[in-house]
Amino acid sequence: MTFKHLIWLTASTLMAQGITPDILLKPPKDSWPAYHGDYSGRRHSPLTQINPQNVGSLSLAWAFQTGAATQIKASPLLVDGVIYFSTPDNVYAVDARSGHQLWHYAYPANKGFHIGSRGVSMYGEWLYFMTPDSHLVCLNAKDGTVRWNVAVADAARGYWTTMSPLIIRNHVLVGVSGDFDNLTGFLKSVDPETGKTQWRWDSTPPAGTPNATTGGMTWMTGTYDPDTDTVFWGTGNPTPVLNGEVRPGNNPDTCSIVAIDPNTGKKKWAFQPSPHDTHDWDAVEIPVLVDGDFHGKPRKMLMQASRNGYFFVLDRTTGESLVTTTFGPVNWSTGLDKKGQPIPNPAKDPAPDGRLIAPDEGGLTNYRSPSFDPKTGLFIVSAHPSYGIYFTKPADGTFGWAGADYGVWGKGVLEAIDYQTGKVKWSHELGPNGAGAGVLTTEAGLTFTGDSQGSVLGLRTSDGKTLWHAGQGQNMQSSPITYELDGRQYLLTSAGGVMFAWALPER
Amino acid sequence: MHSITRNTLLIGTALLACTGRLSAQTELVKAGESAFVQQCAFCHGRDTGGGEDGPDLTRSKLVTEDVAGDKIGPVVRNGRNNMPRFTVTDQELAQLAAFIHEQKKIAEAQKGGRKGVDASDLTTGNIDKGKQYFNGAGKCNSCHSPTGDLAGVAKRNDGLKLFQRLMYPRGAKAKVTVTTASGESVTGERAFMDEFTVALRDASGRYRSWPMSKVKVKVDDPAEAHVELLAKYTDDDIHNLMTYLLTLK
Repeated sequence: MTFKHLIWLTASTLMAQGITPDILLKPPKDSWPAYHGDYSGRRHSPLTQINPQNVGSLSLAWAFQTGAATQIKASPLLVDGVIYFSTPDNVYAVDARSGHQLWHYAYPANKGFHIGSRGVSMYGEWLYFMTPDSHLVCLNAKDGTVRWNVAVADAARGYWTTMSPLIIRNHVLVGVSGDFDNLTGFLKSVDPETGKTQWRWDSTPPAGTPNATTGGMTWMTGTYDPDTDTVFWGTGNPTPVLNGEVRPGNNPDTCSIVAIDPNTGKKKWAFQPSPHDTHDWDAVEIPVLVDGDFHGKPRKMLMQASRNGYFFVLDRTTGESLVTTTFGPVNWSTGLDKKGQPIPNPAKDPAPDGRLIAPDEGGLTNYRSPSFDPKTGLFIVSAHPSYGIYFTKPADGTFGWAGADYGVWGKGVLEAIDYQTGKVKWSHELGPNGAGAGVLTTEAGLTFTGDSQGSVLGLRTSDGKTLWHAGQGQNMQSSPITYELDGRQYLLTSAGGVMFAWALPER
Repeated sequence: MHSITRNTLLIGTALLACTGRLSAQTELVKAGESAFVQQCAFCHGRDTGGGEDGPDLTRSKLVTEDVAGDKIGPVVRNGRNNMPRFTVTDQELAQLAAFIHEQKKIAEAQKGGRKGVDASDLTTGNIDKGKQYFNGAGKCNSCHSPTGDLAGVAKRNDGLKLFQRLMYPRGAKAKVTVTTASGESVTGERAFMDEFTVALRDASGRYRSWPMSKVKVKVDDPAEAHVELLAKYTDDDIHNLMTYLLTLK
């Protein structure tokens, strides 16, 4: 523990309620205090009340209806018995025991892209919410009133925001989106009390820099290793998106996993899942942190199932590659470079008459969380084996999308990857098109996710066998969480504009 | 492209405003643009010309055939393929439709310099090689015939649509036979199937469903052969096939 941690632990004991730095470091079982549940991004819970023997009797405890058609894509928080979650322009506070609404905050109408809101974050008794027009709004968790509201990027230039900030001590880390213009991606650290910027790290140089790329958006929540005080963040694709000719070379720090010092914003190392991407394959998928054995040696690892179809295991202290493998159909690479990064095949760049590419633009997986189960050593990811067709021609220009692409075919498959080898130990078909739900594992040996036809599934983690299911009416577009209140374990899932809480029948 | 579009709209709006006749139609388009940017632009592009995975609406057959939202409306309200459904009022739908039609007009008025896939982009293959693949390695002729089901296929489908359907015929019907514990056997068009439930529409059009665990199910999905080919195609194969299919008018 560093001196800084000590100070924060001491300070935190003065706060009666809400989120303290020590809660984020060691979340109690009656909480889900941040996007991933903890800093590691494993989305794995120690709870065992719901287990393979009794999961079959899991039933609805309550459902909360937003009353809106907008799909819930947020991973909720659970703090002091209250659930907080968001949709674009909206934040809801709901009693975790009953499903009754405490308050609802509506952000003023705005012209940003309303494509999703991944959730709110919390520090002390304050919530942090990002808006479609790139603002960070600080709300009082007690009643949803606005404390302050700052712009983190210029929406008029084409930025928007959807992510749930990552909070480390007194740093609120926020990222941005923006693929339809040639914009610089960046990660910003904001003061939780004032909204003032503490530091900013740019993933790409300013637009107009000769031979350089723009892009590298930072639109998903990263993970954090307190031992080395390092943040791990995935960055998005370069722009123009489908036309790579005007941005020669690897386009550093786009489609990358970067290690960053949370105090200064200084980059420690970078690993690039997709050098010179021309297929919109952001590497923002959760960089999952695992400490454990690798081929007989203890390692501090980082694992990512990336949108481009590759599964990576890195030594997170250095960025050194331990495993690089594919987890479904991939046809765009000629091999690996000496760093373990895929080498793009120029023949698979988008072309005027189209190129057939696996995976499609949505990727072999996307932003919803995978989960790591320590007992089995399985990395479980909702995969989307798929093909797409990619076009670009000079007339499409060099700005923003700069081409067109279309999905051809795809399906959903849950895959359990052995991290030591990268081999798929079991797979579970999830239906046509793609499922897209996130994954949660629990210490009891259960895996929860959604299929592509509206069901939420409870599977046995060791072999993927279905033990429980329920139709939710629409596909789950979020990552599930679990918590325990009054000695009762709840599973929280969502579909459409409805949040469902599942639990074992009360005795 | 985006800025040209926006400027055109702004200039148009400004001119009308100067004359003091900001028409109801212009108001409709403006309101439609605002809603479109918020809810639709991520997939269909801010100018409706295509974005992340969503088709270019300015080249859409459905938009061409639409009158004041009568074709667009059902798609918006029910969803389609990967598109989710949206709740819109009649007024909001009229606004969205007005904006999309305005964008289509603007796009069509532009000569060259427009992004998108033209039918002429998709003729780079070799007809003979395509025919050879159709009757040879692709085994397309085991299900299809250029004088049978594919006669006139290039007339029925435009360039990009034909290209996409060549690779995977989205929405193609599958046949399913369900045998119950009592030995009853029912065959029909697959209506739904997941791990837990199978459903079909029988010859009379009646919908019937069963729990998967209680019946035996046999599926005949001809589109599966297309999926198997996806992993085998070279880009030349699909272009040759496409160019060959374009001769079937």
